[in-house]
Formats: sequence, C-alpha cells, structure tokens
Amino acid sequence: MNDKVYYWQALNRSLDVEMAADESIIVLGEDVGLYGGSYRVTEGLYAKYGEWRLRDTPISEGSFTGLGVGAAMVGLRPVVEIMTINFALLALDAIINMAAKIPFMSGGQFPMPLVVRMPGGVAKQLAAQHSQRLEQTLMNVPGLRIAVPATPQDAYWQLCQAINSNEPVVLLEHELLYFSKGELDESRQAPPMHRARVCRQGSDLTIVTYSRMRDLALQAAMQLADTGIEAEVIDLRSLRPIDWDSCIASLEKTHRLLIVEEDSGFAGAGAEITAGLTERCFLIMDAPPQRVAGKELPIAYNAALEAASIPRVADIVSAAQQLCRP
Amino acid sequence: MREPVLMPTLSDTMETGHLVEWLKQPGDVVKKGEAIAEVETDKAVMEVEAFYDGYLQGPLAVADTDIAVGEVIGYISDSLGAETKPAKQKADNAPVAKVAKTEIKTPPPMAEISPHAQTATQAPLSVKPVASEMASDKHIPASPYARGLARELGIDLARLAVGPDGSIRASEVVAAAVGRAMPNLDDGPDYELQPLRPMQRTIASNMMAAATIPVFHISARFSLAPLIALAREEGYSLTLLLAYACALTVEAHPRFNAVFTPQGLAQRQQIDIGIAMDVPRGLVTPVLRDVAGHPIKELAERWRTLKRKALGKQGNQHLRREDYRGATFYLSNLGMFDTVSRFDAVVPVGAAAILAVAAIQDGLAEFTLSCDHRVIYGADAARFFETLAVLLGDPKHRVLTSSNPLS
Repeated sequence: MNDKVYYWQALNRSLDVEMAADESIIVLGEDVGLYGGSYRVTEGLYAKYGEWRLRDTPISEGSFTGLGVGAAMVGLRPVVEIMTINFALLALDAIINMAAKIPFMSGGQFPMPLVVRMPGGVAKQLAAQHSQRLEQTLMNVPGLRIAVPATPQDAYWQLCQAINSNEPVVLLEHELLYFSKGELDESRQAPPMHRARVCRQGSDLTIVTYSRMRDLALQAAMQLADTGIEAEVIDLRSLRPIDWDSCIASLEKTHRLLIVEEDSGFAGAGAEITAGLTERCFLIMDAPPQRVAGKELPIAYNAALEAASIPRVADIVSAAQQLCRP
Repeated sequence: MREPVLMPTLSDTMETGHLVEWLKQPGDVVKKGEAIAEVETDKAVMEVEAFYDGYLQGPLAVADTDIAVGEVIGYISDSLGAETKPAKQKADNAPVAKVAKTEIKTPPPMAEISPHAQTATQAPLSVKPVASEMASDKHIPASPYARGLARELGIDLARLAVGPDGSIRASEVVAAAVGRAMPNLDDGPDYELQPLRPMQRTIASNMMAAATIPVFHISARFSLAPLIALAREEGYSLTLLLAYACALTVEAHPRFNAVFTPQGLAQRQQIDIGIAMDVPRGLVTPVLRDVAGHPIKELAERWRTLKRKALGKQGNQHLRREDYRGATFYLSNLGMFDTVSRFDAVVPVGAAAILAVAAIQDGLAEFTLSCDHRVIYGADAARFFETLAVLLGDPKHRVLTSSNPLS
C-alpha cells in the first residue's frame, strides 16, 4: 500500500491497526466515540470496537487523563485524546505529576504505556487561547517522550510506536496538518521514534525544524536554492529526546545552524536545540546559531496579525541569507 | 583618576599596531598633545599622543610587539601615587583610540596585577606576559570553525581581512589558504622565521591584490640629458621633474587617471602621483597631490617635506595615512642604480598604470609603463610615450611653464 492519505487518516489507520492487534488498547476523550473525534482521527472505530474501547468522556481533561494514567498502571494501553493542547493545561497534573513520575517513583513497578494525543499550534483564527503549542512546557519534564509528526507516514509510525511503548508519550499534532496529504506505506519499516530525518540535502546551512514548520522550511529551501544557498532541512520528529547525532552530522557539513519553530522563541524548543547543538558543535560552527520563531505575543485573532505572529517562508529565507553572508 | 592609553586606529585597515618604543617612562610628566610612544602601522611610524595632562603610569605594553587596536597600552594618571583599581575602560574616554567596531573588549590588564606592583616606577618588563597576550590572535573576532581551520591550515588570523560583519569566518580562511602558494620549508635547509613587520605585511597583501590586475607592459628609451641639465640648473630632484612630466602627460591622456571598478571606470578629477621610495623599513609611496595643478616650485617644497617625513628626518613628523594613500598614477625610478637597464613595476590597486624608469645606459634610459589592460590599451600607452617624449625633449619650455603646454 502506497497511497496518498490525509494526516488524520494515517492516525486513524494506526489506531485501527493497533486496536485490532491488541485488545488492551483503549481510547479516551471528548467526542472520540460516536462523533469520531473533532479531527476525524477516531472515525469509524466506535462502530468497529465499541463503546468500551472508545470512551466518550465528560469535558474534564484532568479526570479523564488521570483515568488514562490509572488504566495504564493496571495493564491497559490507553490513548487519550485532548481536543486541543490548550485544554491540556487542565491535565498537566495527570501528565507531569503522575504519568511522567510514577514509573520512576515506583522503581519501575508501574510501567506507563500511556499515549496523550494533542492537536495544537496556530490554525485559522482561533485566537490566543486556542493557538498554542506548549511543547516547551512538556519538554522540560523528565520521564516523558514527545513526538511531533509532520507527515502522514510519521503520524502513522509514531502513533504505532507510542502505543507500543511502555513509557508515557505525548503526540503533538498540528491542527493545520490534519488535512495535509502525503504518502503512507504501512509496510515500511519505521525508524526509531526519536530519529530525526534529513528532508533535504544541502551544504550551506542546516535548518532544524519540526511539525508544520517543516513544510515552510522546505519551501524556503527551494527559494534559497534559486539564490545559490543550499539548505539542509532536518525534521526533528521528536522533541524529547532530540536526535542530536543527526543534527551534528549535518552541522559537520554546513557549519551553520538555523532553527525554525512556530512557538515563541524565548525559552522555547529552539532555545534547547540551540544550547544542545552549541555545546556539541561550538568548534565547528562558522556563525552564531539563529532562530526564526513566533513573536513574543499571544496569537492575535486578526488574520493578518495572526499570520505575522509566526514564521513565514520569507522570514526563513531572509534569516538563512543573513546566516550565509558571503 | 587614571585614564587608559589605547592602541589607536591610525588607518582604516589597521588591526594591530607595532609598538616601536615608549618616548616617556612611567612616572614622567606628560602633557596633552605630547607624544608618548611610537607606533608603526601598515605604512608609517606615528606617534601616540597623550590626551590628558598627568603622569604616564604602568603597566606599559612591551615595546617591539604587535598590539591589537583598542587595547590598553598604558595609563595616564593625575597623581604619581599608584591606584589599586583600573580606570573604567571606555572608548569615549580616549578619543585617540577610535576603537574599531570589531574590537573585543578585554578587561584592563591591571586587574591581574597586585597593588604593590603598581608603583609609578614599575618596570615595563613585569607586564610582559600580559602584553604578549594582548598581541595574540585571541582578540580577533573569528568563528570557532574559522579559528580551527586557520590552526589546521597554518593561517595567521591576524593577517586576514575581516568580513563584512567584522568577523572572520571560514570563507576568509579558506580564501587565504587557497590563494597562497606555500613554500615547503622542509625541503630546504634550516631557517629562522622573521615575523613580518606591519609594513611588509601591507606591501605583501597589496601586491597579492595587485596580482589580479591584467597588466601589459610597453617600453621606450628616452634621452634624459635635457631633464638632467634642467634639474641641475634649477636645483630640483630628477624624480620630481619626472613626476611632473608624468602628470602633464596624464593630463593630456586622462584615461591614465582612471581606475577600473566593476561599476565602471572611475575617472579622477585630479592627478595625484605616488612616488615609490626606498626607505630603511621597506617601501613607501608618498603622494604628491594635484601635480598638474601646481607650479613646480611648490611641488618641490612638498616633495622635500614628504621625503624627509618618510626618512624620519622631519623632526617628530612622520608620514600619515593621507600622505601615502590614493595616488592615481605611480612612478618608480631606479635610475640611481647604474646597472639597471630595464624593469617593470607592479600596478598598484587604485591606479591604472605605473611608470618604471631605469638607469641611463648609452645615453638613453629605458622607461617601462605597466598598464591595467581593462583601462588602457596598447595604442593609448604608445601615445602616452609620444607625449612624454615631447616633454622630455624640451623640458625647460614645456615643463617649467606655469600652465600645461599640452592641454
């Protein structure tokens, strides 16, 4: 099978394949059952696997995520869907204080095969309270794994891997990616969940990015190629852990680092990537690492302001050109 | 109060200065405007002036070392007593040290020295380690990668031009490595490495830059007897008269006063003749400005002063940047060496031609014109010589009249 499918379909396929194979997998969340999920990710599964395995929950993120933690402790493999990451703030106690720490505090007696899926990012005029990513909040929690799939293939692979992992995994999905299409080959061997991917080869600078910004970085790289700058684009795929080795291998070639992230830059994912790579690659860097990030602002509702608040292709092109001054 | 004395920026290309010697010793009274040290830059030895009244105070940077622009080389204090804390180093405290943008601020070396050592009579010797570090390339802003590459390739960062952002990147190092032919010293006998003086370094890099100019040469022989007779009669130097004849010729052939730029030929409005001069430390080219627009008498006076400055015989005055930069045409006269039958000179960047004058043999001296072929073509050069021949044939009437007889 090698078809073009939507990102949401890839996630749906993953759940279907895994749920068919393992009865201990359950899905918890708002409207995941009868309605099929607000982004159609659980479409058709309710009919197939029934209300015991796809539980529609009340609007109460703290309690149903906590329920997922408890279920994982006693042998189930719950996949919790939080309708948007913005509501995950209510579930942080369950994620940070319980899921991330119980395996450690129990000396490994309780594994935590929990998956929490969260749509996030700046979509289309959802205003400040519904346009966040919050990845930096979760990146700072030892005990969690964070996957950020940017393509249907990765969405499929990484959700399968998350479900099969005995560690708690947060899947940060992007709301604008659900209806992007890409190839899905379910028979292909998946790379490790945290392995970064070089999406485009280049010799002049390394653009490290993830999630939806991957597409923008690739577009920028095409424009840069017209001006004689060959950008290597790395899709991290995972924010915790980060695949430093792939980044280092690229920097050994390009000596210049540009990070593109949608979230605001201050103390964000890009800050960690910058620090991590500067520590490892200082002596081979030919320029100070640069970040293209969202503005230090809550995201505006106004469409023009919203678009200007986060990186655009032109921003990436211009930052790369500055970094590669002749 | 104690103010730092900084290594001044004496030319726009200067990154380090060679501290020749201190003219004052620690504890000496210094007056504002008074020379306290001599610094050799890329082309000239200049004086560092005190910007305050007070006493010169150590630690002084060690003489005969290269020191980065903007570095503290000593202090001027308003009292003889030693101070325990270094004065706050601010560029605007010391206007003489117009600190280059690329300077990396370093704390004054005083901080590392115990109060007891800081007497006004302290010997400069005691700060040698500090001073030698000041001269190292640690303060040249370079990317870590560029630094590593330079180390591997054996390139001295101090010799590289900084990039547009004021720092050295790998591209500058690689360009230097690729553009340089390195002799393999292992093949030959033992050797001793003599570090380049700033002037040697500048000449070397100017010559490397000039090597990219497509040059052709054209030669002719002239009798210099009438010019020599005139020089004796009027008491002018032969070189000056040659420069004047060149200027009048250039005025008749303005293309020789142009220079090639990628945007087009820059046709200069005034003829400034750079005259190559043999000096003990190397080679300088003092420039006579607007030669065609001034009577020979005035030029003779200016040329005498320039020569004295270049040879260090003009009291405290030395060649300044404005004395040796920006010539539009060059003259190199080796006629005083009887054995030289002909030679050709390198066209410096910034001009379109240079005239090389050899010694008189069998009554004739061979002139060789080296021309930038992007600006000047063969027939232009031939016509240049025709005009010059007319001038040299009857210099008394043609050269000494107040206005150019050819124009």
